[in-house]
Amino acid sequence: MSAIMPGGEPFLFHGGSTGCLLIHGFTASPQEMRFLGESLASEGYTTLGVRLAGHATSLEDMQRTRWRDWLASVEDGYNLLHSMCSRVIVIGFSQGGVLALRFCAGTAVDALVTISTPFDLPPNKSLQALRPILRPLSMIVPTIAKGTGGWVDESRAAERVAYDAYPLRSIVELDGLLKDMRTHIKDVNAPLLSIHSRRDDFVPPEDMGRIQKAVSSQTRRSAWVERSYHLIVCDVDRNLVLEAILEFIHEQVPLSS
Amino acid sequence: MTIIMEGGEAFFAQGNNTGCLLVHGFTGAPNEMRELGEHLARADFTVLGIRLHGHGTRIGDLVRSREQDWIAGVEDGFRLLEGCCDHIFVLGISMGGVLALHAGAHLPAAGIIAMSTPHHTPNPFVPPLRPFLPLLSCVWRYAGKGSDLQDEEARKTHVDYHAHPVRAVAEFEDLVRQMRAALPALKVPVLLIQSRADEIVPAEHALQIQAALGSADNSIVWLENSGHMVTRDIEQDTVFKAAETFIMRIVKDIS
Repeated sequence: MSAIMPGGEPFLFHGGSTGCLLIHGFTASPQEMRFLGESLASEGYTTLGVRLAGHATSLEDMQRTRWRDWLASVEDGYNLLHSMCSRVIVIGFSQGGVLALRFCAGTAVDALVTISTPFDLPPNKSLQALRPILRPLSMIVPTIAKGTGGWVDESRAAERVAYDAYPLRSIVELDGLLKDMRTHIKDVNAPLLSIHSRRDDFVPPEDMGRIQKAVSSQTRRSAWVERSYHLIVCDVDRNLVLEAILEFIHEQVPLSS
Repeated sequence: MTIIMEGGEAFFAQGNNTGCLLVHGFTGAPNEMRELGEHLARADFTVLGIRLHGHGTRIGDLVRSREQDWIAGVEDGFRLLEGCCDHIFVLGISMGGVLALHAGAHLPAAGIIAMSTPHHTPNPFVPPLRPFLPLLSCVWRYAGKGSDLQDEEARKTHVDYHAHPVRAVAEFEDLVRQMRAALPALKVPVLLIQSRADEIVPAEHALQIQAALGSADNSIVWLENSGHMVTRDIEQDTVFKAAETFIMRIVKDIS
């Protein structure tokens, strides 16, 4: 009997001395990053997909966690990967990208990839209206259900391992993490690739430019995909995302023989 | 600046297809398993030392931790090792031993090594007070803790919190209860390592665990002079050797 939702376990594929740390998004699980993890491993990279604290177990666990717990999970993954790899590339999806930026502001890494990553809380009208009272509200309304949709390839939706609701208390944490990330983002110096879908209906496509503008990295690349919505690492554009990442890291962090 | 303090970093060493998952104790940090890990890595095993939730950062984080976070953390380490190992041993000290024994009943481990592991919460007031601890912890947040580490050098470099969060003690008690309930279901080989001079977990705990185990292959290695933290204390070499010998023997039996 396992404590982690089946399919939501963290993963490690041992390859060469260049490692990719993969960070999943808010309320999701390592399953979200598994395609990238497996694909990058078959290209010779060591890949490690972390499970963020409070994720892939129960919503109650997530409500208790704070963003510093999530960042500590990222640090754990980095410490493990850094023990076996001389070079580390950090790849984060959505909130995982926020954590990646926050982490890379304090630790020098070889390259950084942010995917569908927000710069601020989504400009959803009701969310923005409730923003000042989210914390007390979360005591009365602990969770809000997730809408359906968001997929172009519905068959992929069935594989997904994630909570089916958002804990309100955790949105407060996401807000806090975003604020802290924006405070520290100027300390990010690693070569940065950002990938976003023009059709992202959850995190505005403009956020990619705001991230690109805020970092201090010498090398800044961005890539667009067109067909999927927010979940571009799982949906129909996932191969394009993989190709963009491979092209970027082949150039920035050439595999040593 | 990182969230994790120096000495609180999880560690990994790639070796052969036998994996060793190392689990530190309550209010401790991965650092207390690091030397054992280095020894096992020299014996060519693959080694992964996890950091438990709420540990190795700041003590306030541990107040929010629940036993299920620690159990899930052990499973995280186990699943990561599964990616590169065929046989996985779980080794833990103190509460890490409790978690290791619990894992032995719930995950496909090849064997378990539990060091200085309590059979029940050593403080006799904790079990009867358990229902009141969460409320009590609102006014009494931290309880003092002692150390019986005999090795002077180890004492200087030890990384841990200097108190027990009362709220987390309640979780500890729940976890130990869960472990006790799981002991009869444990069928894999178990090695217990216990010092007779342990001032935190008295020696009879090892005997009580042994008596409750479902495993036919079980044994105790006794130490005479170490304190509770046997992985870092004056007989650590005996501990390292015993762990290595046990793992070698089981792996030989499997293959």
